[in-house]
Amino acid sequence: MELYRKSASELSALLNKKEISALELADATLARIEAVEPAVDAFLSVNADAMREKARAVDEKRARGEALGALAGIPVAVKDNICTRGVATTCASKMLENFVPPYNATVVDKLEAADALIAGKVNMDEFAMGGSCENSAFKATKNPWDTSRVPGGSSGGSAAAVAACEVPLSLGSDTGGSIRCPAGLCGIVGLKPTYGSVSRFGLVAFASSLDQIGPFGRTVDDTALLFDVIRGKDSAHDATSKDCPFTMPGSDVRGMRIGVAKEYFGEGVSEEIKTAVLRAVDEFKAMGAEVVEVSLPSTGYALSAYYIISSAEASSNLARYDGVKYGYSGRRDGSLTDLYLSTRSEGFGREVKRRIMLGTYVLSSGYYDAYYKRAKMLQKQIAAEFAAAFEHCDLIATPTTPTTAFRLGEKLSDPLAMYASDICTVTANIAGLPGVSVPCGVDSEGLPIGLQLLGPHFSESKLLTAAKCFETAKGGFAVKEL
Amino acid sequence: MKFDVQHIAKLAMLKFTDEEAAEFEKEFESIVGMVENLPEIDSKGALLDPSNQMELREDVVVPSMPRNELLSNVPHLVAGCVVVPKTVE
Repeated sequence: MELYRKSASELSALLNKKEISALELADATLARIEAVEPAVDAFLSVNADAMREKARAVDEKRARGEALGALAGIPVAVKDNICTRGVATTCASKMLENFVPPYNATVVDKLEAADALIAGKVNMDEFAMGGSCENSAFKATKNPWDTSRVPGGSSGGSAAAVAACEVPLSLGSDTGGSIRCPAGLCGIVGLKPTYGSVSRFGLVAFASSLDQIGPFGRTVDDTALLFDVIRGKDSAHDATSKDCPFTMPGSDVRGMRIGVAKEYFGEGVSEEIKTAVLRAVDEFKAMGAEVVEVSLPSTGYALSAYYIISSAEASSNLARYDGVKYGYSGRRDGSLTDLYLSTRSEGFGREVKRRIMLGTYVLSSGYYDAYYKRAKMLQKQIAAEFAAAFEHCDLIATPTTPTTAFRLGEKLSDPLAMYASDICTVTANIAGLPGVSVPCGVDSEGLPIGLQLLGPHFSESKLLTAAKCFETAKGGFAVKEL
Repeated sequence: MKFDVQHIAKLAMLKFTDEEAAEFEKEFESIVGMVENLPEIDSKGALLDPSNQMELREDVVVPSMPRNELLSNVPHLVAGCVVVPKTVE
């Protein structure tokens, strides 16, 4: 088997046995990226020199017999809204096209401490706003399963790079489904961790109360490995981060109670997807899990609450882009207000402006109570409904997305259709819960279908155990040949 | 429903041509139409999640980022100062 097809765990074993060197792996990775990038367009920048340099350092460390990190020599791609010191971090926006962070995000420091090779920065919807990766100011990433289709978003580059075997692992961020949706549409594993379990320091803010960094992999073990490296309290930088127990996924779901909520199988979700997800639930039953029905009655309002809360926070977070301290700077021959107006109007793309406008509107005088306050109340209610459901089950199984991958351009001119892509995933962000998407089959056109598993706060070990058992029962997840 | 797109744009420090504003107004109507279907909920209690307590770091002096690194992304820098258009006539 070609090196690029191997999982991070397999590559680690080869590196440990000295059957390959980290430099050989770096070169093989760069060759694979060069070969498939023209079709996939996942990367915004490739870190060839730095990657080779780090690989040599890892090889030397190994030769000297020094202790190595958990991801020693393993290539990882990083979403371009996660700050990398000395390497452009654009958020796929003209606004940050030339922004070179003078510091690393905590997760990037952790990758470096784990001796990972950072392969490059990957494409996304601008400022993580979108469900198709087409809102990038630079290019549209394609789905490796069918390059006329979108990889999903916003972490479309992270998902496509892993699905196309350019790298075994990547980092993305998930504010309303931006890890799980592209993982589902690209047929790989994507974990949105519990809010607070991974430091957000150095993640360019979209909606701070919902944003969470998380891992992608082609296997559950790889995804767990990367989660284990990035998780944990970051007391110097992120007041919401926490240390919580985590053990690598086990291999037994006997006695586990899998909840099914009918609200996730309603109108708008394709029949093929419903069937595939319910078949997956049956497989859990066959493995010895118990299936229970649960009710989450406010699910239908979640999308509205999500777009109000996330846009409100975005309008506030993105107020910092003023053309003065960093980023794109507009005309300077007028007043300060002219500078602000031209910077923001020229620097932000259309979808980002939509969200800023919506957020400004729902927070504006006279509308706050009707929109923002009501959405926050609903958030509380949704969280309470999940808490009640988790008294009767350990995990909840739902579809990840309402449809499989759609064609490039298909939903670009219809914001509401695009927003509806997040209908099954926003609830986890609203309630701060962890969720994982794993492949559970393909539709009649051969496109991957995602199964989403949701769990209580800090239940990542249990979620990934269930995911791994499912993977084992399936005999592993399929990889699309490009 | 009619939105004063130009008023909201002003609050958001964004500028739209009349043509863009007209197009935006249509989109905005459908987006607001989607999000306004929220139910009335009994609004007692705090909005913050008490189980998600934030822990602030100690307020101690530590070395910060070097000034030149911090200013390395400033679009218009003169003699170590950030330059903005004249704000006082």
